[in-house]
Amino acid sequence: MKVEFKVNDRKHSIEIEPGELLVETLRRLGYKSVKHACDTASCGACSVQLDGNPVLSCRTFTAAVDGHEIKTVEAFSKEGELSAVQKALVEEGAVQCGFCIPALVVTAEALLNENPNPTEEEIKTYLNGNLCRCTGYVSQNHAIMKAAELRRNSASVPAGNQGELS
Amino acid sequence: MLKIKEYLRPETIEEAYEMGSLPNSLYVSGGLIAAQLKISRLERLVDLKTLGMDEIEDGSIVKIGANAKLTTFMNNPILSSQNNGFFKEVAKDIGSTQIRNMATIGGSIAFKLGWSDVITIFMVTESQVEFYDGNFHKTTLENFIKDGKRDQIITAVYLPKNTKFMAFEKFAKSTFDIATLNLGIALSLENELIKEITIVVGSRPMISERVREVEDFLKGKDLLNSIDKAANLMESVVKVGTDMRASAEYRKALAGALLKKAMRRICYESGIQG
Amino acid sequence: MKVPDLGTTLTTSTKFKVVDTSVPKVDGYALVKGKTVFTDDFNIPNALVVKILRSPHAHAIIRFVDASEALALEGVVCVLTHKDVPRVAYTRAGQGYPEPSPYDTFVLDKKVRYVGDAVAIVAAETEEIANRALKLIKVEYEVLPAVLDYEHASDDGMPVIHDEPEISGAYDPSRNIASHYEMHIEDVDKELAKCDVVVEGTYYTPNPSHAMMEPHTAISYFDPNGRLTIISSTQVPYHVRRIIRHIFGVESRVIKPRIGGGFGGKQAIHVEAYVTAVTLKTGRPARCVYTREETMTATNTRHAMRFKVRVGASKDGKLRVIDMDGLSNTGAYGEHALTTFMVAGSKTLPLYNKVKAVRFKGDVVYTNIEPAGAFRGYGAPQSMFALDSALDELAYKLGMDPIDFKLKNSIREGETSPVFRMMGEGREGVEQIIQSCKIEECALAGAKLFNWYEKKKRPKVKGTKARGCGVAFAMQGSSIPAIDMGGATIKMNDDGTFNLMIGATDLGTGSDTILAQIAAEALHTTTDKFIVYSSDTDVTPFDKGAYASSTTYVSGNATKRAAERMAQEILKAASEIMDKPIEELHLEDGKVISESGHSITYSEIQTKLFYSFKQRQLEVTESFVSEVSPPPYMVSFAEVEIDLETGKVDVLNFLSYVDCGTPINPKLARGQVEGATVQGIGMVLYEEHVFDKNGRMVTNDFFTYKIPSRKDVKNIKVEFAKSYEPTGPFGAKSVSEIGLDTPAPAIANAIFDAVGIRVKKLPIKSEDIFFALKNMAKSL
Repeated sequence: MKVEFKVNDRKHSIEIEPGELLVETLRRLGYKSVKHACDTASCGACSVQLDGNPVLSCRTFTAAVDGHEIKTVEAFSKEGELSAVQKALVEEGAVQCGFCIPALVVTAEALLNENPNPTEEEIKTYLNGNLCRCTGYVSQNHAIMKAAELRRNSASVPAGNQGELS
Repeated sequence: MLKIKEYLRPETIEEAYEMGSLPNSLYVSGGLIAAQLKISRLERLVDLKTLGMDEIEDGSIVKIGANAKLTTFMNNPILSSQNNGFFKEVAKDIGSTQIRNMATIGGSIAFKLGWSDVITIFMVTESQVEFYDGNFHKTTLENFIKDGKRDQIITAVYLPKNTKFMAFEKFAKSTFDIATLNLGIALSLENELIKEITIVVGSRPMISERVREVEDFLKGKDLLNSIDKAANLMESVVKVGTDMRASAEYRKALAGALLKKAMRRICYESGIQG
Repeated sequence: MKVPDLGTTLTTSTKFKVVDTSVPKVDGYALVKGKTVFTDDFNIPNALVVKILRSPHAHAIIRFVDASEALALEGVVCVLTHKDVPRVAYTRAGQGYPEPSPYDTFVLDKKVRYVGDAVAIVAAETEEIANRALKLIKVEYEVLPAVLDYEHASDDGMPVIHDEPEISGAYDPSRNIASHYEMHIEDVDKELAKCDVVVEGTYYTPNPSHAMMEPHTAISYFDPNGRLTIISSTQVPYHVRRIIRHIFGVESRVIKPRIGGGFGGKQAIHVEAYVTAVTLKTGRPARCVYTREETMTATNTRHAMRFKVRVGASKDGKLRVIDMDGLSNTGAYGEHALTTFMVAGSKTLPLYNKVKAVRFKGDVVYTNIEPAGAFRGYGAPQSMFALDSALDELAYKLGMDPIDFKLKNSIREGETSPVFRMMGEGREGVEQIIQSCKIEECALAGAKLFNWYEKKKRPKVKGTKARGCGVAFAMQGSSIPAIDMGGATIKMNDDGTFNLMIGATDLGTGSDTILAQIAAEALHTTTDKFIVYSSDTDVTPFDKGAYASSTTYVSGNATKRAAERMAQEILKAASEIMDKPIEELHLEDGKVISESGHSITYSEIQTKLFYSFKQRQLEVTESFVSEVSPPPYMVSFAEVEIDLETGKVDVLNFLSYVDCGTPINPKLARGQVEGATVQGIGMVLYEEHVFDKNGRMVTNDFFTYKIPSRKDVKNIKVEFAKSYEPTGPFGAKSVSEIGLDTPAPAIANAIFDAVGIRVKKLPIKSEDIFFALKNMAKSL
């Protein structure tokens, strides 16, 4: 069947299998940052934004996103400049193996759009579905607190956040 | 990938029902459960999201469209102001952000999963389910759980508005895990005595069920001074089973413990001092 | 065991410019942007999809396989069974050669030894076709009785799991014993008789999964010149190459891109042999990506272990005896069987070097479950749970604070332990005198920061909750001495940058970064001047791989050597160019500066050497193998809260005070300890594998096998003691594994402090705590 949707503002009009899952479609289209890691909606590594909200692409039928907008991590570092979230994650040593990181960025960006000044507890609650086996989460939570502050301080200069502020 | 022949996006409820009545069809709304099913005979998915049905409408009874996401339910201002913020508080511990952004109220009920927190929450609030099978019907969630059919389409859940005190307790190994056992209570008070009360235990691991023996016992009783007795009674009457998460014996103890916690929480919220 | 003063002064106050700073990870930017850096991200045109048909039985002989229907399916390219692959015995363990693990594995065998064992390899044009083909293969099994309980694996009359004639290196396969080890110092029984207080206990640790986020993945293909190339998510590319040659007799190139976590789980060859078999058979590229279920059920777990411990002390608090009788479950195959068991002793016993008599012995047995393998900590977390818990109990019985008791009996700088010499990995160890050990600072400063003494005085029970505190001590090692070798190549470019080529395998740990820091420090420049490339067996120098807490120490020393030699080469070239004696030159900020104040940049030097002056490329390769394995040390403090109504245990606070020498990159070092701590908490409270009566793992996904999630983790703190290891690169020791050694005993000791229950079996289940509390209440 044929579907049409946008990924990171780029339009895709493609043929898909009716039972195809979004993670499969996105990886086929070259969005390799979307990871397939658990098969049971339990790890969050396949998270993408669907119309701005984080969802699991391994549990989303591609047929159902016809006419919708998807964002993957590539949307948040346009022209190579890192978003505040990305920058903070690297600076805080919160990226170890990095396999869960694209999905973490996608989810954290949505959090900070919804709640620009989250407490650590709110960060943990919002990102509880993003598993990480390397870091123990401490540095990641820290980095997101720091990113929130960076974003608040540079609210007038949307550097690195063009993807979502546009 | 699911090996199916067609993914259908009906425009009307009649059309959807017709498609869903065909053999080897399955309705899908959030997709969370459908995408995980390993039914080799499955031929067709019928997407209900195209039907809308995702609004939450205020009234003496709040109408929640079956396609409303858990996130919508959690952040809805009407519901957030109800029952001391109960609904927002309990919804935020279900699944994860991503799951709440996908899972719908209807889907959470339709699959009748034993460990569903959503079913316990709606059962304890004595909500009604509206469904379509050629005609629209309304029935209690309890009855729907018992009698609901595969091809029926849940269209809405009706949540009564009231000023009852509510508490929901979930015991799980991890914060991102299904319940080993969950328990909800809703009650009204008159002079610190319990007037009306519903108690539901879920993830027993069987599907949520009212525990009427304990409800009956507590009616007319002093809330604060009945906690231990009610918990003891709960442990002796609750019907539970053993699975890999817990033994039946432990689940009994959990049912008692969670009832105590829920009753204490209501004591605290209603200003009853121990 | 005290040895004379070393007579050396240990520098601890060296000032560093690059080392001991938290530069961002060199691969961080690519990872955070989601670039195509993992194995499955690579597009290899026309690659076949490889799937494995797996055994539904725990123990069975394959009578015959009929693949005709599968082969008839359009798009199926080949189905390989045990008849189609070389019958060569090997071990999947990625270890130095010759491996101390038994050769008891075949790519495909006519016998299956656990539910999930490989039966056939299918290659097809698409994943969907491959999956359909799996269902069409008919296999007739002769089902054999299975050995599922490791405590009875070598009982009389038990079925023999490895009866193949080709097996070698196993201790007694006829009794399902893969390995056996025993050692003793003095007579434990005689010494126990002299003790005033003795504690005995039997402790069990389970077989958790590594649960790295990236499943095992490999791609193989022939390059244009016909050289077999394997891209693999592996911790051990050089061992993969060697083992592939051993099995198939074919030379290959192994490339390790970024790895999505390993923790020891990728220190074995799993998928590589399957894709290689397909590429050799078909000539086509082949890709195999394990599902989560395969990663959980058909790779490796930690070795479950049982330790019967006896410890004894005199009433003045002197520890006199440690006696550990162990049993380890290696599952269906013996990868890392002997060595994990020996490490259980060698990385714990030397910590208490004041002890008079020591015995450590036991068997590692085969069973019909998923094979165990290398897993962060490598035996030490299992035995440290037993030993530290027993010592905690001993301290309690002596009426001593456990910190005082453990400090009184633990090792210090300038001391040694005979265990170092007696126990290595699969053979004798090496003698070593400890040159850096800040365990006292870790314990005392940690206790202060944690408010240990105040917390211990508080009432335990408040309402329906009880709180308690526990402490645990640990040591680990830094590399396998006299075996582990690592190399580094440094090449200078005309833009002033350096290629740093290392065989060391960054699996997320940040080793590419810290090795660049080490090189930058030695070459008086900055980390961003290093283009780090790891690991590619055709390009980078040999390195044993990422395991045994060795990369910082071994590969770090190799890198430091290479950088120091490069510095000499630069000085030599500069001396010629500037016409000044070397003695008058020094390196500073990417330049060579003379005493007279003249300077020339690295860029200018190499440009001249390329085009106009004594033309040559500056390039050096150095290797390093250590004669010692300096242990890092750690003291951890846990505060738990127990819900008395449900038995649920929450770890409220966990502080680790670590002596890892100089932390080359403090933020990355901290991340190693934090990550290991949470894996430890997972092993203690959340992670449990459940098997059905036929030996099938029921907890085969993240839905049923819970690793800690973000909200599960409360307050975790990591501090570093000021320490300097003279044999390490710029004073560094290892830090990657030790963090997993303490959570189990610290939490178990804290539970005892809170409610008086000694937990001796992991994971600690709320159900068990609840009923233990109930029984306690009954008996009161």
